[in-house]
Amino acid sequence: MADPRELMTRYCDGDASAFRELYAAVAPRLYGYLVKMARSKSVADDLLQQTFLKVHRARAAYVRGADPLPWIYAIAHRTFLDDVRAGKRAKVGVADDDLPDVAAVPDDPGPDPELLAAALDALSELPEQQREAVVLTKLEGKSVAEAAAIAGTTVGAMKVRAHRGYEALRKKLEGRA
Amino acid sequence: MSDELKLPPFTPPPMGAELEAELGRLVPVETRRPMRQLAIVCISSMVYAAALLAILSVRADAGELPMGWMVGGGLAWFLGFVVPSYLALVPEKGTMIVRRRTAAVAAVASAIAFIAMGMLIHPSGPSSIQLGAERFLHGHWCLELGLATSIVPVVLGAIYLRGAVPTGARWIAACLGAGGGSLGGLLLHFHCPITDPLHTGVMHAGSVTVAALLAAALVPGRTEPR
Repeated sequence: MADPRELMTRYCDGDASAFRELYAAVAPRLYGYLVKMARSKSVADDLLQQTFLKVHRARAAYVRGADPLPWIYAIAHRTFLDDVRAGKRAKVGVADDDLPDVAAVPDDPGPDPELLAAALDALSELPEQQREAVVLTKLEGKSVAEAAAIAGTTVGAMKVRAHRGYEALRKKLEGRA
Repeated sequence: MSDELKLPPFTPPPMGAELEAELGRLVPVETRRPMRQLAIVCISSMVYAAALLAILSVRADAGELPMGWMVGGGLAWFLGFVVPSYLALVPEKGTMIVRRRTAAVAAVASAIAFIAMGMLIHPSGPSSIQLGAERFLHGHWCLELGLATSIVPVVLGAIYLRGAVPTGARWIAACLGAGGGSLGGLLLHFHCPITDPLHTGVMHAGSVTVAALLAAALVPGRTEPR
């Protein structure tokens, strides 16, 4: 993956191909984050488009040399929260046709679909802040500091949310085993 | 459970028509330069405050008050303007998300510190004016002047932060407002001869709190990405 800093700089200088490269590099991870948060592929589709539209319209806010990923994640986070607050997002139950497309990985058959559904279902039952903390720190691989910056909270609060969320998720999955 | 949590990668949808259309009209933009913008905010705001002071005149009792208090108080108000403005406008090196937590602490701390300073430290001279509690409200002009002074740094800061603050925008705005209110306090420090503690604590230092609250209510709409 090309350096997001370089792509963002070229994009701000008017190079549309750099934005396409940035989208190709960032969208899969961001889409995964939004699917896990929204629990609906169609909602995540919409949130992803909104997020990148906001990135595009606010590109002048970029600071050259800075890593744009936490900012882009924070925009996605805020877009998701605004969507929830607007009451647009319906609570979607776990259904096979609502599970996200899984990128084809020939050598890796992927997880058991039932297990995946159970994990996503258990994740969707967590309180919003704990779900976000688990998704960012455990699934997206962000550091606690990065996750805190994205969510607009403190490192301490993010640690607590991630720990409580992880424990709650573990108990839910053990209960289903 | 960690294995269960290792979910597979997701295939995102292609860029939508609206995004493609906007990309088709892509033009180069001037990106944010935080230190340069901080300098512009500080210099423009100080020039504005100095012009207001020139129009309104320096306090009549300035020569009668302890020099240490005049200079020290002025320095405290100046730092109360510059430090929150820096925290609101300049992210840490290598990042572009502004420091929400530090900004929040700065906004609250400066509001409390200046009220305490106004209440506790208020030397007066023969030409100073005492309003007293019964005529306390007659001094509302100072609060209004402090808020009017805060307009330039808050508006400039909001313009420079446009689209830059996806989360914690209210705290960043409050910090910007507290900085602007402190500039108002600096102007009042050199202009207003009223020295009773209620006036300096509420009408002068109150401009920090009120400007922070007003900015927190009004500015986030400009600084959040839309």
